[in-house]
This record gives sequence, structure tokens and C-alpha cells, in this order.
Amino acid sequence: MNARRRHGTKNNEEGVYTGPSQTQSQVLQPLDAPLAIPAPFAAPVDSSSSMSCRDRTSEFQSVCKSLLSRQNGAQTTKPVNSAVRQRSDFTLAAKRIGRDLANTFAKLEKLTILAKRKSLFDDKAVEIDELTYIVKQDINSLNKQIAQLQELVRSRNGQNSRHLQTHSNTVVVSLQSKLASISSDFKSVLEVRTENLRLQRTRQEHFSQSPASASSFQDRSFSNSVLLQDNSNKSDISIDMDLRSSQQMQVLNETESFIQDRANTMQNIESTIVELGSIFQQLAHMVKEQEETVHRIDANVQDTELNVELAHSEIVKYFQSVTNNRWLLIKIFLILIVFFFIFVVFLA
Amino acid sequence: MAASIREKQTAALKRMLNFNAPPLKNTAAEPLWKVLIYDRVGQDIISPLLSVKELRDMGITLHLLLHSERDHIPDVPAIYFVMPTDENIDRICQDLRKQLYESYYLNFISAISRSKLEDIASAALAANAVTQVTKVFDQYLNFITLEDDMFVLGNQNQEQISYHAINKPDIKDTEMEAIMDTIVDSLFCFFVTLGAVPIIRCSRGNAAEMVAVKLDKKLRENLRDARNSLFTGDTMGAGQFSFQRPLFVLADRNLDLATPLHHTWTYQALIHDVLDLHLNRVTLEETPASDSNPAGARPKKKNKKTYDLTAADRFWQKHKGSPFPEVAESVQQELDAYRTQEDEVKRLKSIMGLEGEDEGAISMLSDNTAKLTSAVSSLPELLEKKRLIDLHTNVATAVLDHIKNRKLDVYFEYEEKLMSKSSLDKSLLEIFSDANAGSTEDKMRLFLIYYITAQQPPSEGDLEQYKKALIDIGCDLSPLNYIKQWKAFTKMAAAPANYGNSGVKPMGLLSRVMNTGSQFVMEGVKNLVLKQHSLPVTRILDNLMEMKSNPETDDYRYFDPKMLRGSESSIPRNKNPFQEAIVFVVGGGNYIEYQNLVDYAKAKPGKRVLYGCSELFNAPQFMKQLSQLGQK
Repeated sequence: MNARRRHGTKNNEEGVYTGPSQTQSQVLQPLDAPLAIPAPFAAPVDSSSSMSCRDRTSEFQSVCKSLLSRQNGAQTTKPVNSAVRQRSDFTLAAKRIGRDLANTFAKLEKLTILAKRKSLFDDKAVEIDELTYIVKQDINSLNKQIAQLQELVRSRNGQNSRHLQTHSNTVVVSLQSKLASISSDFKSVLEVRTENLRLQRTRQEHFSQSPASASSFQDRSFSNSVLLQDNSNKSDISIDMDLRSSQQMQVLNETESFIQDRANTMQNIESTIVELGSIFQQLAHMVKEQEETVHRIDANVQDTELNVELAHSEIVKYFQSVTNNRWLLIKIFLILIVFFFIFVVFLA
Repeated sequence: MAASIREKQTAALKRMLNFNAPPLKNTAAEPLWKVLIYDRVGQDIISPLLSVKELRDMGITLHLLLHSERDHIPDVPAIYFVMPTDENIDRICQDLRKQLYESYYLNFISAISRSKLEDIASAALAANAVTQVTKVFDQYLNFITLEDDMFVLGNQNQEQISYHAINKPDIKDTEMEAIMDTIVDSLFCFFVTLGAVPIIRCSRGNAAEMVAVKLDKKLRENLRDARNSLFTGDTMGAGQFSFQRPLFVLADRNLDLATPLHHTWTYQALIHDVLDLHLNRVTLEETPASDSNPAGARPKKKNKKTYDLTAADRFWQKHKGSPFPEVAESVQQELDAYRTQEDEVKRLKSIMGLEGEDEGAISMLSDNTAKLTSAVSSLPELLEKKRLIDLHTNVATAVLDHIKNRKLDVYFEYEEKLMSKSSLDKSLLEIFSDANAGSTEDKMRLFLIYYITAQQPPSEGDLEQYKKALIDIGCDLSPLNYIKQWKAFTKMAAAPANYGNSGVKPMGLLSRVMNTGSQFVMEGVKNLVLKQHSLPVTRILDNLMEMKSNPETDDYRYFDPKMLRGSESSIPRNKNPFQEAIVFVVGGGNYIEYQNLVDYAKAKPGKRVLYGCSELFNAPQFMKQLSQLGQK
């Protein structure tokens, strides 16, 4: 095209852009390329990064502008397609879930940092419990949202094109797997926390109470807390215990409540782990449904090729058997002749 | 070159998939979903490097071929990874017109020319989609990396740049130019990805020299242009701790024709030779063991099983280059190790079952729970190991079958002796007449090697005898014509290549069998132990890297793209030995040479060698090309 040649680009055929851009070349032709005259549409240089690729976007946009200006003289501009991209509700929902996942992950990270602290006195039990509760709620709600999304995808199965369906399924699977990884991280954080609690308790008892009384306190506190838990069944025994050790009860009360607290926390953690286990199972079930395989991207092409070839050979064989089957032809002819005779003889 | 070429290319691909921003390590970022569209060249580049799972992790939900029927996916960005050919550009313009996706990130595998860019721009304008074309990039990734230190040029256009195409007698200048341009383009992309400007050395008077001249010119042009250079200080500095430049040796296939025909004994090379190994994927045909139908219409269906040999497979990485008997032993050992681990898990299960009934076992229970959780979490690993062991068992068994059927060990031994010019215990005619030993192709290969490595050509009478014997067996003699021409040509040029000394010692078979008792009973297969020897390419590399003076390599041309003026001299300016080298064989290469170079690099600590070739063929494919050339 003349337009290109007129400006006399300094490209060689491989497209390596070795000179200043078209719009400036008329003036700059006599000057040599390496001079530092900054051209407004100079080919971009990625000097700040160590990327081994070259960005041609601004070149592309400059070409578009120049083509547009050329066209503007010739014809009226068409109305530009509005940039309002109507996102389907699937995409919106998926984006929302993705954002929630990211937030939950951030919270989990904070929780991890808190739970890993091993100091004896600065234990932020309240915060940790709160965070745990929040994260648990988040995971539950995310689970529900993802289940809803999957329902939505399944219901749209008929209307969607094949690729859109695959895309939607893959999005759901990736969200599920992210949720699964968050849940497993959460579980490990809880386990770390349990471990730390246990260590703290042993250390505290070791440091804050004398050994002799500690053991007796331990026994009684143990038995007391165990009994208090089953007080519905063993009410008479607890009453007996109360009668017998009423004086010590007040002294024990404080340590008791403290230990009670700990026991509660441990219980909470255990129940959370059990819930997580059920979520895991659900997720595993969902993921298995999708059947992710570790194929390479050219696997399916070869498979289909193979199948088509096999099918083709089968059809060819059948065709050959049919056409070579002389008996079949003879039988058909006989039947035709018989019918012909019947009609001719009986209707003539 | 602290990172291998495979890592560099993978990093470049991942960066591209992340919309050309450096990939974030933070998993707390919001996931972005995209669609990947590639053409066949892009498919070949991506498939050895990234599995589908890794693509999914990066947010790619769909990966599609450019020239397939694609549906409308309205709110997802699409990343294109294609070559800038005319058909691809047309298809992209079509996509723009149909408005299939929300936004388009166009990445071209090698640099796109200005005119094609204008074509896309006009199509985008016509479709009012200019804002949708978000980015256009030249990725400079036009080569396929198969191993950490091995790369091949394109796979789709193998016909165009094959040995046959380069060496055919009736080649036109324009064709040669086109071939050279393709090769130089890919090599340029390779160096851009590597981020280093090499010092080029090549021999005189062949295709390699032409490639070297063009490559030097291209690199020089790019470096001159200070604004646009792809080799800015950043790319050079990042990740490179050596200030030395690598050495790039351009060799031509005509230097050594015996190696591609050679029968081999190392695992990877054997798989490539005997089975169908393509882009790190092995295809085995398994015929089911059922007896055929007496009614006879349907033949037995052959199942094809494919296996991927990946970088994550530790056994493969360790044993790629080992001689075959060692591989067989190691598979057996791995299998035994796996069985003990499996038994351990089973034992744990039974213990758990018993312990559950004990009451006073609360503390033991927690301990066992921990053991059980560790066993459960190690189950996926165990399963993966089992899969790999199965894979290697199948592959090794298939290779062993071939070896036994064709008596490849005999050929290997004989050829080693031929190549090292030691004494032969059997004559060629005996082997030719032995009907069990190998196919006609094997015998032809052996004869060609004999012809190539013989110091003086065999006398006319001998030659006629051999020819008659071969024709009796049914071999095709056209490769021989070509080899005669080649031999005449190379004799004019230089002394024929020396293959170095090698020794092959067969080890006693019985002792091996009794030691291992493995399922790989190699009856009648000699257990050969390889001694180190150097192929011609390796020796040339050694001379050039160590700056040794040797009549073969003294005459090599020397190019330094960073020097201001191209000099015609072949006096190297640099007197220090090189630490890094890249060997590229124009006209085709194979795994035997690769293995030899790997062994060489291992023997010299601190040296890194990369191997590349314009195409990768095994001996049967090479024979086909030779016969095509011989028939002209």
C-alpha cells in the first residue's frame, strides 16, 4: 500500500523496529537513529524491567490513531461501541466470591501470626477466638455461596455454549480448590493453636504453682471439671464431692474457671475441626465430580484424532462387508422378484 | 545463566499469562480468569513446560486452538499466543469482528512486522474494538525447550528446516535464504530469552557459517539501537553472576553423520530411537493379549498409551542418561522401596484397628492419630510414586522387548568398536546374514557407519559383496549414494572426524542375574558397560571452550556482536577459557549427542553446556532423509 511506503519505514522485514516512528521520519531521515531525539511515538523501551519481550501496544495505538484520522476524512465515524460490558451475573457472583476468598485469606494470615506466638503472658485469647469465629463463619458462607454458584452453572447448562460451560465449570472448581486450601490452612492453624494452649498450660502450672499442691490441685481440678461436664449424669456424686470439699471450692473456683476457659476453648477448636472435616468432605466430593486430570494441552487433540480414526475404520469395514456381501444382494433381488410376480399374477 | 533455559522460558510464559506483569507470589490476590488461545506452534512450546493443572492455577479456564470453532465468551479476557503469520492474523481479525471476548491480549511468538500490525489495527477499527485490544507484545519465544539444557527449533515446520531441505542438491537460493532466516529468528529469540550476547564460533564453508553470519548481523543491529535493545543492562545483570559471555558453537550436521545412525545404550536415547518419543511424550502401542476372533472380521484393537516424561519425575531425571541395565535395576529398587512403604501403611492400619478396642489407650491414640495423619497425607505421594514406577516399568519393558527382538546390544557393541577403530571380532557379512539380529534398517545403519568411519573406503570387490548381501536382505541402498557423495566432499574439506577411543566391556551375565533377580531378565542380552568417549561435537566444544589449539578448530570463524566493527579475522580476542557454552547443530541433532555433552559438562565442574538443534530426529527418520537425498 502506498501509505506505508510513503513514510519510508526503517523496518527490516523481521519487524524489529529499528528507527523512529513513521510520523517523524520525514524530518528525521537525514539524522541518524541513535541520536536522542525523543519522538512522541517512539517504540517503547522496557528499561525498568528485565523482561525479554517487547511492548508494541503504544505502536499499535498510534497506528490506530493514524488510520482513524485517515478514515475520518473519508467517512463519518461509526458510533463507538459503548464500553459498558454487561457482565453476566455468573461473572459478578464469581468475582464477589473471589474477593471474599482474598479477604478471608488475609484474615487467616493474621490469625496465623497471632496463633504462633508462644509468649506466656501476652496471650490474646479473646482476639484469637474472635478471629477464629469470624473465619469459620466466612468459610461457611463461602461454602454456601460456591454451592449456589454451582447450582447456577448447572441450571444454565442447557443454554450455554460448550466453551462457556467449560469456562464456568472451571471457575467453580478453582474457587472450590482455593476454599479447600484455605480450610486446610485454617485447620493447621487451629492445630498449632491447640498445641500452644497445651504447652502454655503445662508451663503455667509448672511456673505458677508449687509442685505438691499443684498435683493435688491438678487432680481435683481435673476431676472437678470432668464431673462438672457430666453433671447431668452424676449429679449425686458431684453433690457428694461438694459436701466433702466445700472449703476448698472457693480456692479452687478461680483456677477452675481459668481451666474451664481453656477447656472450652479446646472444645470449640475440636468442634471447629470436626465441622471443617465435613466441609472438606463436601469439597472433595465436588472436586471429584469435575475430574481434573493432569493431561497436557495436546492430549485431547490426539485422543479425538485417534477416536475419529477408529470410528472411520469401523465404518469402512462395515461398508465393505455390506457391499461385498453378494448373498445380501441376491436375497434382495429374490424378494423383489417374488413381490413383482405376486402383484403381476394376482392383479393382472 | 544461573537459571536454566527451561526455567527462563517457563518464567516468560507465566509472566505472559499474568498479563505481562511480573507474577505475584501472593495467593491473597483476587483470582483473575482468562482464556488462552494458541496456534500449533504455541501449543508445541507450551505443552512440555506447563501442564493443564499449572495453567489452571494461573487462572486459565480454557485453552483453545486458534483455528478451531470458538464460542462467544463475553466477559472474559483472552490471551493469544500465536505466530504472526497471515492466516493467524486473519483469524484474529475475524475474532475481533465477531467480538468473542471481552479484551484481547495479543502475544506474538516472534516479532510481528509493521504491516501486519496495521492489518490488525484496521480490523480492530472496523469492528470498533480498538479499546478491547488491550496489549500487543512480542514475546521472542520461538523455540521449544525440552530439557533444562536442551532446546529444539520449531516442530511444525520440520520439513522446511530439515537436514534434507538444507542439503538437497537442487536447492534454490531463495529457499536457502528462507531456511536461514527461520533458523536465525529462532536463535535470536533464544538469546533474547536467555538474556546474553554470546561469542559465536563456527566452522567454515557450510550452512552453519551462513547462520552465524546472519545471526551476528541481527544481534549487532539490535545492540546498535541503544533505545530499543533487548539486551539492556538489566536483562544481562539480573540472575547472572558471571560476567563472562557464553560461547556459542555452531556446528553442522555434515561434520558427523555417524552419530545419528548409531545404536545407543542410554535410557533416554533408547526411548527416542526405539519407541515414539515426541516433545517429552512417549507413545506405546499395546496389543491386548486376547486371541483373535475366529469369525475374523475385526482385527485386534491396539491401545495406544501415552506417558509424559516430565521434569518433576525424579527417577527420570536421575536415570535419563544411565545405561539401560542400570535403569532396569533402579526400577526394581524403586519398586521394592515402594512395596515396603505400602506395607508400612497397611501395618499402621491394622494397628489402629486393634488399638481402638483398648480403653487405656488415650495417649497412644493421639500418637497413632499423628502417625495415621502422616500416613494419610503421604498417601498421595505414594500413589504418585506408584504411577511413576508403573510408567517406567512399562516403558522399560517395551524398550527391552525391542532390544531382545532386534539384538540391539550386538549392534551397539559392534558400532562402538567401529567408531573407535578397535579390532572387530565378527565381520560385517556375518551380521548381515544373521536373520535374527535386527531389522533391515539396523543392518543398513551398521553398514553406513562402517562406510563412514572407515579410514579408506572399502575396495570395489568388498563393496559389491556388501551391496549384494544388503540387497538380498531387502535394504534400500539409496542412502549409500548420498553417503558416498558426502564422504567425497568431506574428504576434500578436512580429515574425517575422529571418534575417539572408547572401550566396551561386556560383563558377565549370570552374575548380574543372580545379584538382582529382577523381573527384567535380560536373557541373552549382554550387559555392556560404557566407557567415556567423546563424539566429534563434544571434542570440538572442548577445544573451543578451553582455547586449546587443535588443527580442527583453529580455522573456525570468530564473531563478536558487541564489537563495533565486524571483523573478518578468526583470531579470538578472549584468551580465557569459557565457563558457559551453547552448542547448536544446524541440520538436526539427537539425544546421543546431548547425552555426551551432559556427561562432558558433569566431568568438568563449573561448566554449563546447553544443546540445541534445528530438528530432533532418531535414526529411522534420518535414514529416510538420507534415502530421499540419495535418490536425487
